[in-house]
Amino acid sequence: MKTNGGWKIYSLFLMIAFLVGGCGFKDIDKRLFAVSIGVDLAKDSSKKYLVSLKFAIPSASKEQPNDFYIVSQEADSMSEAVRILKTKVDKEIDFSHAKVIIISEEVAKSRGNAGMYYWFNRRRDIQAITWVAVGKPNAKDILKVKPKSEQVPSNSLFLALGKDGSETPYVIPTYLFDFKYRLIERGIDPILPIIEAKKDYFEINTAGLFNESKMIIHLAPEETKILNFLKSKEEKSSIKVERGKTVIVIDSQMVKAKYKIHTPKGSPPYIKVNVSVKGKLEEASRRVANSQLYQYEKAAEKTLNQEFKNVLKKMQRAGVDPMGFGLRYRSRHFNHDDWEEWKKIYPNITFKVHTKVQITDTGLIE
Amino acid sequence: MPTNEVEQIKESLKSKIPKAADVVFKELHTKEKYIESFYIKTISDETVLHDKLLKPFFEQHHPEEFRNYLESIPQIKSFESEEKAIEELLNGTAVLFYQDSVFLFDSKVDRNNSVLDTSVETTIQGPQSGFSESLPTNLGLIRKRYPETFLNVDITKVGKISKTEVMILHDTRFADPDTLKRIKDFLSSLDLQMFQTGEQLLDSIKKSNRAMIPLMLVTERPDRVAVNLATGKVILLVSGSPFAVVLPTVMKDFMSSMADIYQTYWVSRFLQLLRYIGFIISVCLPGLYVATTSYNPEIYRVQLALSIAGSRNAVPYPSFIEVLLMLFMMELLTEASIRLPKAIGPTATTVGGLILGQAATEAGLVSNIMIIIVSFVAISNFVVPINAFSFSLRIVKYFILALATLFGLVGVVIGFFIFVAYLVKLDSFGEPFLTLVQSKPQPHKE
Repeated sequence: MKTNGGWKIYSLFLMIAFLVGGCGFKDIDKRLFAVSIGVDLAKDSSKKYLVSLKFAIPSASKEQPNDFYIVSQEADSMSEAVRILKTKVDKEIDFSHAKVIIISEEVAKSRGNAGMYYWFNRRRDIQAITWVAVGKPNAKDILKVKPKSEQVPSNSLFLALGKDGSETPYVIPTYLFDFKYRLIERGIDPILPIIEAKKDYFEINTAGLFNESKMIIHLAPEETKILNFLKSKEEKSSIKVERGKTVIVIDSQMVKAKYKIHTPKGSPPYIKVNVSVKGKLEEASRRVANSQLYQYEKAAEKTLNQEFKNVLKKMQRAGVDPMGFGLRYRSRHFNHDDWEEWKKIYPNITFKVHTKVQITDTGLIE
Repeated sequence: MPTNEVEQIKESLKSKIPKAADVVFKELHTKEKYIESFYIKTISDETVLHDKLLKPFFEQHHPEEFRNYLESIPQIKSFESEEKAIEELLNGTAVLFYQDSVFLFDSKVDRNNSVLDTSVETTIQGPQSGFSESLPTNLGLIRKRYPETFLNVDITKVGKISKTEVMILHDTRFADPDTLKRIKDFLSSLDLQMFQTGEQLLDSIKKSNRAMIPLMLVTERPDRVAVNLATGKVILLVSGSPFAVVLPTVMKDFMSSMADIYQTYWVSRFLQLLRYIGFIISVCLPGLYVATTSYNPEIYRVQLALSIAGSRNAVPYPSFIEVLLMLFMMELLTEASIRLPKAIGPTATTVGGLILGQAATEAGLVSNIMIIIVSFVAISNFVVPINAFSFSLRIVKYFILALATLFGLVGVVIGFFIFVAYLVKLDSFGEPFLTLVQSKPQPHKE
């Protein structure tokens, strides 16, 4: 660029650069981070939803923990709510750290919310790894809870759902992308953890099961654990087994579940579920010798077989399929009407559960 | 040589050399013979003159005997031409007129021949002394470390006024003859008035005389020179400079320290990795800060995002002005501590680094995180072992910062990409700048 016009091109480039750069530049302190989003049904109003956003207020000093405030708006749609919410706050609302979406139980149980669900996915700044959960009694109450151990607003929810903090088989966390996938895909249905707000802590030990677009049933804590075992998502847990008058608790270190859908010609189809559990004895009501462990293994197998079967049957009766049996069936069968076929098969299919329990030791030196 | 011709030369030399305070023209007489000497005493070694010339002159009585003596000592060169004689005279040679002939007596004084400690490229272990400011001493240092018959030394002169002696060293077995030829052509094509030290060549290597990245390594360590000779590099020694120039230089050379071969394998690998990480950090971090705080805060974890937002709450300016302000302050500090005498250097760093940084955050001019970032950038910049290269990197980060301000994260990526592309374009005497393995000379070539 040794021509005389060289500087003109440079300055033109610079001007274009400034024009392009004009959009998007927004300093971090001019943004208001919404850490969690709550969606309730609007009460005593013509509008449909009550959308609440929990904003974190960054504190300048390390001594005082970050504070938060909640702003709510009734609206018929999410985008309408957010647009009006923008007029209630001083800074630009940034959803990039909104990592929990709470949907109230009422909303989850009602139909016709697909537009709201997909709004989260459509927005660029809401991350796909946001967790979705059902709030009880309503979403806003969940947002209001402030556990004492919490430094950053909503962090305790992030920790609980993300399993960065406590690891428990009673929580089945669901990501937004997974939730949407399960809503759309035929043959696999959404599961959402249910969060219950107590005075200053949360209780997350049940799960809600969706059919197509609304929540149909919810699982009790023990059933949630079994579903987690089936999904092979959580291995650290305890399994209570009764044998005669003795009650033992197994601390499981490894739980693996595999299933296969069998459609033999001429006989009814069935799903074979193989579960293998490995763990050690954690608690026993009476002395258990090493030589007796085999008998307890058998007892545990029997108990678990029954528990697995119960959960699977409960889901089958409700017509929900969070395990994705339908998807598995469709992926192995290449007929055009595989989905229609599966819809006929699923209500009558039988489950054959085979559990193998291995108790490594009693935890004590004999 | 007839006597009148000698007289003529004498007169003409006298007329051409102006009568300065240190110009000496002396006649010595004994009964049988007399000699005239002509020299500049400030650049001539008078003790040599005394020992090798005056003493024998007065001890040996016979004129022929003294003539034989003169003709046999190694310092004596015979007279070739007047111009040559003047040149030699200006370099410290004494011109002798004895009987009917003219001799040039090499009495050059060799000052500054003390070996200096390394101060720029220090290592913890390994040799601690560098070059001296005297060319013969430096050559001696290298020869001592590189006792090979294949070591070839050529001499040229660079600089129209300074006429500085430059030695070109290479090992004939390893050095690429093409590269050597390019270097010699480059030296002969140089258009400089005063040539003082090898660093001056850094700019001349480019046609435009404007270079951003150095393409030759200037080192003060004889051990580095010896190691580089063995890998086929060409070395330039400049008279009067305690630095040698290593050619051709690629980025790998700039990122290596002599400590690498004085450490165990994994330690030196780790240190090298550290340097490359430091290199990338010092180039990208200011840009990344602006891009992430102002365009994409979602890549932070929520705790960090909130703490950055909290510490930036009091800052009135946008992030890029904050960064520029702090970087500017840091550059001033670095620059000031070089200029300062060693005794008050630490004071400046303390006042500047600690107090200024603390006060700037207290006053709400910059955020806490910014202080961390600026010191991170400064420290990682010093990790790059060769100074000339780390100075270049100091500039590059502003380029990436500008792009980040305009385009966010994409700007950082594109900026780094352009920087790498620029490095790819560079070559040092035919050797691509990003070469990892030095090319060996082709066997069939001479």
